[in-house]
Amino acid sequence: MGQRVGRILFSLLGVATLAAAGLLVPHFLTIGNLLNVVRQSSIIGIGAVGMTMVIVILGIDLSITGLIALCPMVSGLLMLQGVPIVISIVAGIIAGIGMGLFNGLMVAKLDVPPFITTLVVGQVSQGLALIMNNGRSIGGFPAAYVHIGNGSFLGIPVSDLLLLVMMGIGMFITQFTPTGNRIYALGGNETVVRQEGINVDGLKLFVYAFSGFCASIAGILLSAQLDTVHPIQGDPYLLDTIAACVIGGVSLAGGEGRVAMAVVGALIIGSVRNVLDLLGVHPFFQNVLVGAIIILVVFGSGLSRYRRTAPV
Amino acid sequence: MRGIIQTTLKSGSAVILVLLVLVGIVFVRNFASVDNAAVIVRQSAIPAIAVLGMTMVLMTGGIDLSLGFVVGLASTATGFMAKVWGLPVDLTVAATVLIGALVGLVNGVIIQYMKVPSFITTLGTGYILYGISQLVSAGNVITRLPPSLLAVGRTDLLGLPTSVYIALGIVALGWFLIHRSVFGRALSAFGFNSRAAFLSGLPTARVNVLTYVLCSSLAALAGLLLTIRVNAAQPNMGGGVFTFEIITAAIVGGTSLFGGVGSVIGSLFGVLIIKVIENCINLMNISYHLYLAVQGGIILTVIVMDKIRSRAA
Repeated sequence: MGQRVGRILFSLLGVATLAAAGLLVPHFLTIGNLLNVVRQSSIIGIGAVGMTMVIVILGIDLSITGLIALCPMVSGLLMLQGVPIVISIVAGIIAGIGMGLFNGLMVAKLDVPPFITTLVVGQVSQGLALIMNNGRSIGGFPAAYVHIGNGSFLGIPVSDLLLLVMMGIGMFITQFTPTGNRIYALGGNETVVRQEGINVDGLKLFVYAFSGFCASIAGILLSAQLDTVHPIQGDPYLLDTIAACVIGGVSLAGGEGRVAMAVVGALIIGSVRNVLDLLGVHPFFQNVLVGAIIILVVFGSGLSRYRRTAPV
Repeated sequence: MRGIIQTTLKSGSAVILVLLVLVGIVFVRNFASVDNAAVIVRQSAIPAIAVLGMTMVLMTGGIDLSLGFVVGLASTATGFMAKVWGLPVDLTVAATVLIGALVGLVNGVIIQYMKVPSFITTLGTGYILYGISQLVSAGNVITRLPPSLLAVGRTDLLGLPTSVYIALGIVALGWFLIHRSVFGRALSAFGFNSRAAFLSGLPTARVNVLTYVLCSSLAALAGLLLTIRVNAAQPNMGGGVFTFEIITAAIVGGTSLFGGVGSVIGSLFGVLIIKVIENCINLMNISYHLYLAVQGGIILTVIVMDKIRSRAA
């Protein structure tokens, strides 16, 4: 019950943000700009789908910075070699899932803290993205690929549709499958879940692999939007993705949080950045603001449960 | 003393270093020379200062992802105070370290009293600090710093610059602090089991906050010396790459990922290991980008080996 009230309050907050933005900035509440906001938020939103599950099982995925660069770099280089688009994209996705599986292996089998494992895997991915083309960007992809990022289907940008599809997959897994139930249970109390005889290691592997999958889709979409892959293009997205999750009420204490709410969190972050852009606020100042928001929101929410487990 | 030697040997960092140096001598041209050894020592001095703080933070079971951005902030601040405002050298050094201490205090208070996990706090403050340094410097690089400031880290003494001696002094102090002081004991106890430490009457909150204060102060000092070494103050100095380098050095040096265990000597070996690798990559004229991936590979190998060994034991 309390959770439902929280969610209603949260939605009201979102609406209030939009209304305030509309009053402050003349061009904000136009259909064109709103679709643009959703398009800009789609990268963060897709990343947040996977990140939500990871945070629910008391983990964190810092590797998405590297994966958002590595996966499209793999796809892009293959495409420029003349490999068919679909195969190139699949190769990029496989790279993401592979790195995610590796994260999962380190966390599940070797008990390495998630923030260390994923930091390292992220740096390795970043390094690989740099080595692959010697630190240079690539661009000039086939029109069909660029269409994924910039085209529309039935008047709706393909990016927005992709975000919806990914959100749908995430919601389906977490809310309508036994795996979803187990993910939430695992975040609540690992010992009990283990004693129930549930394959905890397999579950962790799945969650980290899924997060790698989401990061690869986000990276490929970003490169399609820009028609470029830059080897450090993932840098700005890590903080925003985690911010989207915590704003959407995903608790760092584990066991709580909805995929859809994290996507709404991504839309809020996207709107805030869009409004600040329209107001002419410097991107560096925006980073200062997002950094402060994330700390304050984590402080304000999910606090009571984390307090009990936090070091004294 | 014997305990420390044992920890160092167990972490294997000394063995890895010796093996790497042997590989370098045999396979890399121009590696085995006195000049090149001096280069490695010079390049290791500044990270050796920063790694002390990270070792302590990792010992508490936390992490400081803002470290590299403190370096950038310190660099920007140093340039401003020394060149634009024309402050005297001692004041510049003191103010830079104080800025670091303040950042650490903010990190520590948020982590300890607001109960925000360390990786979220320092990820957030890292972005904030980077934003502030960029805004303050307006993207400009301040070069040709006053000679009096440069003298702090560049004065030649027996063929090595003063920054190396400063680093040695600080490492010695750090060794005493971590392995021989009451604070070091409390730090270990806190890292092993914070609740038990708290119930035993240790001032756990103060220890935890002080650790982050020390870490950021040392990072600021590293930023100052780095600025002096390259004679340029800029916000892009340090950053995520530097943070990762320092974390790698600490972990390769045998600092436990689960808190409680850390060794100053081990971390020093860790720094030397990554610097020898960087040096070999440079000498062999391979793409510098390889360095990032290789570092990641090493850290993963060390973690896996450590796990296998602890399973076998």
